[in-house]
Amino acid sequence: MKKIILFFVILVFQVSAFSEVKVVATTSVIYDLVKQVGGDKVSVDYLCRGDQDPHFLEILPSYMLKIRKADIMFEIGLGLELWAPQLIDGSRNSNLILVDLSKEINKKEVPAGKIDASQGDIHPYGNPHYWLDPDNAKVMAKQILESLSEQDPDNANYFRSNYNKFVKNLEEKIKQWEDKMSKVKGKPVVFFHASWIYFAEHFGIKIAGYVEPKPGIPPTPSHNAEVINLIKKNNINFIVMENYYSDNSPKQISSATGVNVLKVPVGVFGIDGVNNYIEMMDYIVNKFLEYN
Amino acid sequence: MKSIRKIIILFLIVFAETLFAQSNVNPNVSIIGTFNAFTNFIKGSNEYGKLNFETPEMEMFIDGYLNPYSRATVNVAFEEGEFAVEEIYAEILRGLPLDLQVKAGKYLVGFGKLNSVHPHTWPFLERPLAHQVYFGEEGFNDIGFDVSFILPIEAVYTSFDIGIFKGDAIGKSEAQDPEDEESILELRGINPVVVGRLSMFYDLDDYSNLALGINGAYGLHAKSELNLNGDSTMLSIIENQYFLYGGFDFKYKYKPDTYTSFTIHGEGIINNRDVTRDNGFGVNIGKQINEQITTFGGFIYCDYQFLKQFSIGAKYDFTYGIIGDDPGSNTLSNDDKNTTNGISGWIGYYPVEETLALRLGVQHLLFNYDDDGTSRDSETIIKLQMLFSLGPHKAHQF
Repeated sequence: MKKIILFFVILVFQVSAFSEVKVVATTSVIYDLVKQVGGDKVSVDYLCRGDQDPHFLEILPSYMLKIRKADIMFEIGLGLELWAPQLIDGSRNSNLILVDLSKEINKKEVPAGKIDASQGDIHPYGNPHYWLDPDNAKVMAKQILESLSEQDPDNANYFRSNYNKFVKNLEEKIKQWEDKMSKVKGKPVVFFHASWIYFAEHFGIKIAGYVEPKPGIPPTPSHNAEVINLIKKNNINFIVMENYYSDNSPKQISSATGVNVLKVPVGVFGIDGVNNYIEMMDYIVNKFLEYN
Repeated sequence: MKSIRKIIILFLIVFAETLFAQSNVNPNVSIIGTFNAFTNFIKGSNEYGKLNFETPEMEMFIDGYLNPYSRATVNVAFEEGEFAVEEIYAEILRGLPLDLQVKAGKYLVGFGKLNSVHPHTWPFLERPLAHQVYFGEEGFNDIGFDVSFILPIEAVYTSFDIGIFKGDAIGKSEAQDPEDEESILELRGINPVVVGRLSMFYDLDDYSNLALGINGAYGLHAKSELNLNGDSTMLSIIENQYFLYGGFDFKYKYKPDTYTSFTIHGEGIINNRDVTRDNGFGVNIGKQINEQITTFGGFIYCDYQFLKQFSIGAKYDFTYGIIGDDPGSNTLSNDDKNTTNGISGWIGYYPVEETLALRLGVQHLLFNYDDDGTSRDSETIIKLQMLFSLGPHKAHQF
């Protein structure tokens, strides 16, 4: 009997000795950043797949189960994950720490004055697509480092070392991306959805317009005609869009103007071969150059 | 009393925004508006083939967190020219032992998957026939409380809910005036009903999932006066009549991308209950007996979203009871002889997310009478509906 008790005591201590910080990320980009910083001391899962629109996620009980087991949940914030509170409520996890990664981000397109639905899907606290500026990935990783270290101080040095390694690698890649993108610097580009301001400003691209008449509002024939005129007038080479949106309108515009339609993933695992943040940014940058 | 209630509700509606605007922690305020135009093809009806309009309906939702552990929701509706509190409840969401959740107030009871979902989010326009028969025209909306907990099964989300309710919804399905609280009280007395549900949800893969549920409800549905020997000079005895509803439901959804999805959803209800039946002849013509009947009903529908803004679907309904009958001791949920079949189809257009919806639906009803040559012609109704959603009223759980 004593042996059995001893066995269970050892088992319990073993479990606690190997217990990891359990993290759930709202998006696959955050998932990758947590993996980079947390390494094998963190178990992490994500909710929104890389090929899904993070604005809209169904309220699935399976997501609640993921949140239920988590110690920390990281979110993009700025009103991107309006579905998150319902999932958190459904998870019944009263110990969950929710970390908004937008806290230290220099926010862009924060609307001034009264906003309403006539302006489309406006995010009242600023544009939430900040992860498309690679400098912001460093800010996000720093926030992740701090949260993980607070949750698991014993492994703080391990997290710090992973973070430093990731940032060093990322900074080298940023230089490469900036070099490559210098070829399209200053050029006007039409985007599908208003999610590219951070990317465009980082790489010095001029946003000429959007295929959506207003953020989140489906393209209309009259607006398509305006975009066609805009492309012809400004000799624009690209329409850039997330690969989860329908390309019907961009294709129509393309057939009228000859403009290239670049469908790119904006999430990790958003397309085969894109398995981390750096590969995702590589893919986007290379696509720009492919058609330049 | 009714006029006081109306004044209170009007006050709430008119001043809700103002009241909440003064607070730093505003609850969400949302308005759902519904406008229906319809035409029916019912033989003998003076409305046959004519375009008709229903009084626009409105639902105002006010909801928000009370504190870090709980939320409250109020749903005030304006339907058929009357204001009514459709739902008012509070939920303790977290912080209780065993991660229990408790919900108390007046709300749509979780019997089956569809009943607890607000009708404006259904893809079809008409309430399933079995719900009309066994729960009444407003569905299983009742006063009470329930406790919910998640079973410790890793791979499959499994929750068990059990609640106790006043039973008004059960009374409404057979009271002669479903809106008269006194007649329901007279019919049932004070006898709560117990409702339980076990539900499971499983991701089949990244793009498809399956939800399954079984349900039960038990209680007293009527205190019936029985004349056991048919002698009108003898006193009748009061017999407690009980019901037991069993139910099952499934929902499968395949969503390969942002713009397309395919859903199949079905539910069935089995109704076992005591009923009063005439059993006299000759001098004992008024003799009545207490009998036990078993009936059932259910529906199955599929909905196909083929573009971001369009969906199309069809539904088949079957139930014991004749839709449109007045509630009574031999009709609707107490009817074990006659049945109604329904076939529906619809197409929905959603220009921008869930803010606006235009839906065109058609429902064809067939009535089958078991006895003595009674018959009723089939009916067809075509309905055009416009729905708008103003505010942040949230999506429902899958």
